[in-house]
Amino acid sequence: MIKLYFKISWVVFALFIFINVAQAQSLNWSGYARNYTGMLLTGNKKYAILQNTFNLNIEQSKDKVAFKVNPYIYQYPNQEMEIGLREAYMDIYFNSVDLRIGKQQIIWGKADGVFITDIISPKDLSEFLLRDFDEIRIGITSLKADYFLGDNTFEFVWAPYFTSTQMPDENSIWFPQLDFPVSPVFDYSQKEVAATLENSEVFAKFSAITSAIDFEIMAGYMWDDDPTMHISKTINPQTHQLTGLTVTPRHHRLGLAGGSFSSTLGGFVLRGEGAYYNGKYFNSEDSTLTDGTVKKNYLHYLLGVDYTLWNIRLSFQFIQQAILDYENLIKNDEFENTMTVLASKDFLRETLRLELFSYIGLNNSDALIRPKITYDLADGFELLLGANIFLGSEGRFGQYDDNDMVYTKIKYSF
Amino acid sequence: MTIKKIQILIMAMIIAVPIVSFAQKKITGLQIIENVYNRATGNDMQGDLTMTLTNSRGDQRVRKIKQFIKDFGKMEKKIMFFVSPADVRNTSFMNWSYDEAGKDDDQWIYLPALKKVKRISSESKSDYFMGSDFTYDDLGDRHPIDDTHKLLREEKVDGEDCYVVESIPKDEDYMYSRTVSWIIKDKWIGLKKEFYDEDEELLKTLTIKKYEKIKGYWTILSSEMHNVQKDHTTKMELANVKLDTGIPANKFTERMMKRGIK
Repeated sequence: MIKLYFKISWVVFALFIFINVAQAQSLNWSGYARNYTGMLLTGNKKYAILQNTFNLNIEQSKDKVAFKVNPYIYQYPNQEMEIGLREAYMDIYFNSVDLRIGKQQIIWGKADGVFITDIISPKDLSEFLLRDFDEIRIGITSLKADYFLGDNTFEFVWAPYFTSTQMPDENSIWFPQLDFPVSPVFDYSQKEVAATLENSEVFAKFSAITSAIDFEIMAGYMWDDDPTMHISKTINPQTHQLTGLTVTPRHHRLGLAGGSFSSTLGGFVLRGEGAYYNGKYFNSEDSTLTDGTVKKNYLHYLLGVDYTLWNIRLSFQFIQQAILDYENLIKNDEFENTMTVLASKDFLRETLRLELFSYIGLNNSDALIRPKITYDLADGFELLLGANIFLGSEGRFGQYDDNDMVYTKIKYSF
Repeated sequence: MTIKKIQILIMAMIIAVPIVSFAQKKITGLQIIENVYNRATGNDMQGDLTMTLTNSRGDQRVRKIKQFIKDFGKMEKKIMFFVSPADVRNTSFMNWSYDEAGKDDDQWIYLPALKKVKRISSESKSDYFMGSDFTYDDLGDRHPIDDTHKLLREEKVDGEDCYVVESIPKDEDYMYSRTVSWIIKDKWIGLKKEFYDEDEELLKTLTIKKYEKIKGYWTILSSEMHNVQKDHTTKMELANVKLDTGIPANKFTERMMKRGIK
């Protein structure tokens, strides 16, 4: 309790100092305060989340340089407060080149809510895919250089230090279902990737916007953000029965190349994105494998269309993940097909918005359906009522069938 | 030349002069609207736009935008940076419009929460801009060939001699059944405009409140759109207007959409 008190005091003190400095230096500061309350619809109506958020953007820009710092605080009743920096970077502007150095979120691709070539900033999946997109992205410490030639951009990113996907705690309702015959023991000793120059990641992209089409071509030499679960079995030599499993999560190098496009055709916006992953690890039930993993090349692509009908904005995406040179004992399906559907409509002069976003897993007939109503009570003051409904019993979404929830978000932006 | 011939010539001149003079004055509705459409507005423009939305109860909401426009010959590029309210700050919007008749605009929006520039469809020109009483079409330059124009009469409004022109859309499904514009002679500025809905009822009235000549170009600085059916008003004011300052071409790029107002 005393520890928490000191922590809060430090935050308040730091903010006080910063606000004074901000005023003195004519910094731009903006942000929001938010209450987020969610309740499960199943069981004993347990709270899925009780969170108070404070998010601050501090920015300043001069002729040739700029900086941004984005501290945030998540406060939970009876839990330790989470304080962090979502981004903290500096910009240097030259005539045709921009440099950005520091912790930053880097977003590539044309897909919505799907990560295909958008693989630089890893994901915070503490709350599965439910957080707002700027909260799902984890900023990475990197150097980004952009060279501009008219409406063409060459982008290069060097990330000296690898950051992995943030998984939910083992006690969290969002911890994924594990499909093991016996309870495994986790050995996290090999999970970390050493912070060395050799282990850094590099990415490059060429993008263009034109009247006819926007497109991106990219490549990356990176670490797979999701660790591969290497499995070693302990078998009783007398009974030949499986008596124990040790799971060793380990990250592997991954090379990928891909691209995306977006174009208009009449009232339609057509979008596509695809990537070829060279040497991605998958778990397999093949007993001849020593650690239950197999390395395969892999395709991940998407086609999407956006249009407006009766003032309802509609968007559909079809996504396929394909494992090449497939073997039947691989745990993942050879082809995994997913769809997303978005419908939204504004009322009352854009102060009231109804939205429905849904992921639909076509292989397991599962889905996540996310209806929400947002009302701007006043400019910058937003009330949101939403629900997350999981359908199915297995698959990426069906595994959370017991986590159906309703939630409110009350947000004041300044 | 005989006296008779001189008399005939004088008679001919007396008759011909008014005919020629009448022919010179007889301007068509299309010519008037084309003159408005082609009115010189400078090669580039920047300014701070403030929209004040007032509902029937008198409640007000304010939206602030910084905008830049540049003529590139056969195309015009516009970029808008949203300043307020706070929840849309740093959102930016870019539009490329083309002189070529029938060619749709290209539009992109940058949403800071997504950190991504998204191409959007420009088809929905009947949508209202940021909840205001202006549609995207009301704000843009509707091409004269999209309507059939008819000069109804000439009359004086606020001390200005105006042409009154009725414009009927060629597309029968368009949101307005007709519009009537009061165009100031010589200045080619629309001083007032009435918009009629599909039932031929008056829907909205646009009134120009302030216009000035800046760097030799007539520029509208304040206008008000009143939706008479819902008693909702949007006042649009343009401040800190700068014309022909030579805005660099690279202002109208994805790079600047992401960078925002600096």
